[in-house]
Amino acid sequence: MTELIRRLLRTPQGAVGAAILVLLLVICLFGALIAPEDPEKMNVLARFRAPDLNNWLGSDQFGRDTLSRLLVGARGTVPLALAATLLGTLSGAVIGTASAYLGGRADEAIMRSIDAVMAIPGLLLTLLVSSTLGKGSLNAMLAIAVAFAPGMARVTRSVALTVRRQDYVNAAIARGEGSAWIVLREMLPNVAAPVVIETTIRVAFAVMLFATLSFLGLGAQPPASEWGLMVSEARRFLHQAPWMIVAPGVAIALTAIGFNLLGDGLRDALNPRDER
Amino acid sequence: MSALLSVNGYSLDYRTHRGTLRVLDNVTLEIAPGEVLGLVGESGSGKSTLAYAIMRDLPRNAREISGEISFAGEDLRRLDAPSLARLRGRRVGMVFQDPSASLNPTLTLGSQLAETISRHRGLARDAAWREGVEALARVELNAPDAIMRRYPHEVSGGEKQRVVIATAFACKPELVIFDEPTTALDVITGARILDLFRKLRAETGVAGLYISHDLALVSRIADRVAVIKSGKIVETEPADTIFAEPRAAYTRTLVDAVPRPQRRLVADRPGERKLIDLVGVSVRYGRPRLLGRQDTFGARNVSLDVKTGEILGIVGESGSGKSTLARAMTGLARFDGEIRFGGQRIAGPAEMDKSYRAAVQIVFQHPDASLNPRHRIGDILARPLALYGGAQSEIPRLLEQVRLPAYYAQRYPHQLSGGEKQRVAIARAFAARPALVICDEVTAALDVSVQASVIELLLALRRTHGTAYAFITHDLNLVRQIAHRIAVMRRSVLVDLRDADSIDAADADPYTRELIAACPVPVGEDERP
Repeated sequence: MTELIRRLLRTPQGAVGAAILVLLLVICLFGALIAPEDPEKMNVLARFRAPDLNNWLGSDQFGRDTLSRLLVGARGTVPLALAATLLGTLSGAVIGTASAYLGGRADEAIMRSIDAVMAIPGLLLTLLVSSTLGKGSLNAMLAIAVAFAPGMARVTRSVALTVRRQDYVNAAIARGEGSAWIVLREMLPNVAAPVVIETTIRVAFAVMLFATLSFLGLGAQPPASEWGLMVSEARRFLHQAPWMIVAPGVAIALTAIGFNLLGDGLRDALNPRDER
Repeated sequence: MSALLSVNGYSLDYRTHRGTLRVLDNVTLEIAPGEVLGLVGESGSGKSTLAYAIMRDLPRNAREISGEISFAGEDLRRLDAPSLARLRGRRVGMVFQDPSASLNPTLTLGSQLAETISRHRGLARDAAWREGVEALARVELNAPDAIMRRYPHEVSGGEKQRVVIATAFACKPELVIFDEPTTALDVITGARILDLFRKLRAETGVAGLYISHDLALVSRIADRVAVIKSGKIVETEPADTIFAEPRAAYTRTLVDAVPRPQRRLVADRPGERKLIDLVGVSVRYGRPRLLGRQDTFGARNVSLDVKTGEILGIVGESGSGKSTLARAMTGLARFDGEIRFGGQRIAGPAEMDKSYRAAVQIVFQHPDASLNPRHRIGDILARPLALYGGAQSEIPRLLEQVRLPAYYAQRYPHQLSGGEKQRVAIARAFAARPALVICDEVTAALDVSVQASVIELLLALRRTHGTAYAFITHDLNLVRQIAHRIAVMRRSVLVDLRDADSIDAADADPYTRELIAACPVPVGEDERP
């Protein structure tokens, strides 16, 4: 594990990505303590204040401090988006690998079902799931996971099909290993590279999907300072107070970049063959 | 200077993240017009790097240290890109190892060949196409017209390599570089490609640089042979004498490692009891289609047996079904017929129980593919112990048994050399305490000297454990050294099964005799009478 981290930090992308994510982690853990003001404290006199020394990132339509809202909102945004992505990609990866391993009719059945699920647009599916399960952040997370799994299953299957033909899988079958062992221990580690990269790209999507759900009233509920919710609220005041939308937008973008860079670094670090 | 190609004091480094690695060290060689120089070395000796240096297609981390490469008086290192483009393909042709990788699968063979011709000789498209048909006829392809219109996957490997050779010769080059052109082909096809090269050479008077690890091949084709070891040319001598009376110690090791059918390595007799008995085993490939089934046979009605402690050689060209047989015996393919093993009658993979799977183990051809790159050697060896019973503490002993140090358990496969990886695969098979080990081309991916040590290891393990081997290979010389009996397969059918010492008898199957004839005579010996 320490070896992996050392290799990760040796790549420039990995180091920058890790730095951004450590910063995010600190904000998620201690955001409420660092925040200069109460994120829900309204101030009628300080509405739409441009960034200055009092409000570093300006204030919103109720005079709430944007920086404080960002710092506190991180906890409601990043961990949930990450959990949704991990849940979705991991289950998708297992389904895809298992499908490639089984082959034949089982593969056909699994992939056609996946096609059927994918025929429903992602947002619609998320809406369907979260309205069935009810409002709330946790259900929104499950909904996003369900929407992510099919795409991930396809990507993983295509890689797993190549792995399936490798002799180490044949060797495992010949010595009578169980299917679970072959899928999880022999094949899955070897399809990790595309899964990791997909996962890191999808974290950014997950943040945006959360925002959409919150905007439609199915995810986080006001006055929560979830970043996506902040973007959708600020949309109305785009011309009046652009900082309101820029601040959470940049935060979401930085999160996405951080995860993507980490993904690039991980891809190199996870590959034991890569000795450059 | 009269030399067509001369490499003078050429040194090259690869920069890796662990430091620089000297790949070519003060290499000096010359090829006269019309001469064929063989370049022999083991993998990693720098022979392919030299070919790429001559073609000026080096990887980005290569650093040329010193020396010069001149072709017909021009220093190739000073040429700019456009003059190189005029040189490559036109005056210097190249034939690569794997014809399926060097042809574009999305273009017809004809358009690839015609493009080379029209680019280098400035012909119009249909004139180039006609030239292409003629070029294919010159490499002895039947129906060149039809071949021109086909895609690479529609012709066989040998035909593909002929098309590549036709492309290389189409612009009447002065020099052709061959990088292991027959390694990816089976024996008989490879022998025919060699005959073709000899014929083309006589017709065109082309000079050649023939790179190979196979001493016998090189001595048949080259005028002079250079032996290369870790980037240094060890010696350069005429082909007639270099292997018969090697001067350098390294050349002698290479020659000694070549398998010779006359030098038997196994003296004992196998047991009398049948260990495993295949009765009418057929393997069908193909899936049910909309209208009926369309089956191709991987193996058709094969009956053979292996006795306790016996080494059974199974030979045949690629696609003859010998690996399919291994797949059936290890439960990787469904089969018809039955396998009898210790009183059990097995009709399919589902009936193979733990005791059968432990007793019948397989070692695959490519150790790179058969060892999971994400597992440590220790984890790889632990699996059979966990499945078939055995303590994890046996791992050091297993490694020691295949002459690897115990601390290798902590390593990943990619940190080991090819021979070491194959030893790990053998250790994994023996961890199950098998009665039969199926060796599927276990030495084909290895260098000659490593091959000899792996064979020696297998024989030593057999002496200790009394294991029987089903030794699948295309190398007839090798199998005649070790096998008690040899089974010959062709087009999924068992055509011959006889004692190893009577394999060249007059009553052998015609195909068996054809195989023996195609098999190169080991170097350092007189031609067979």
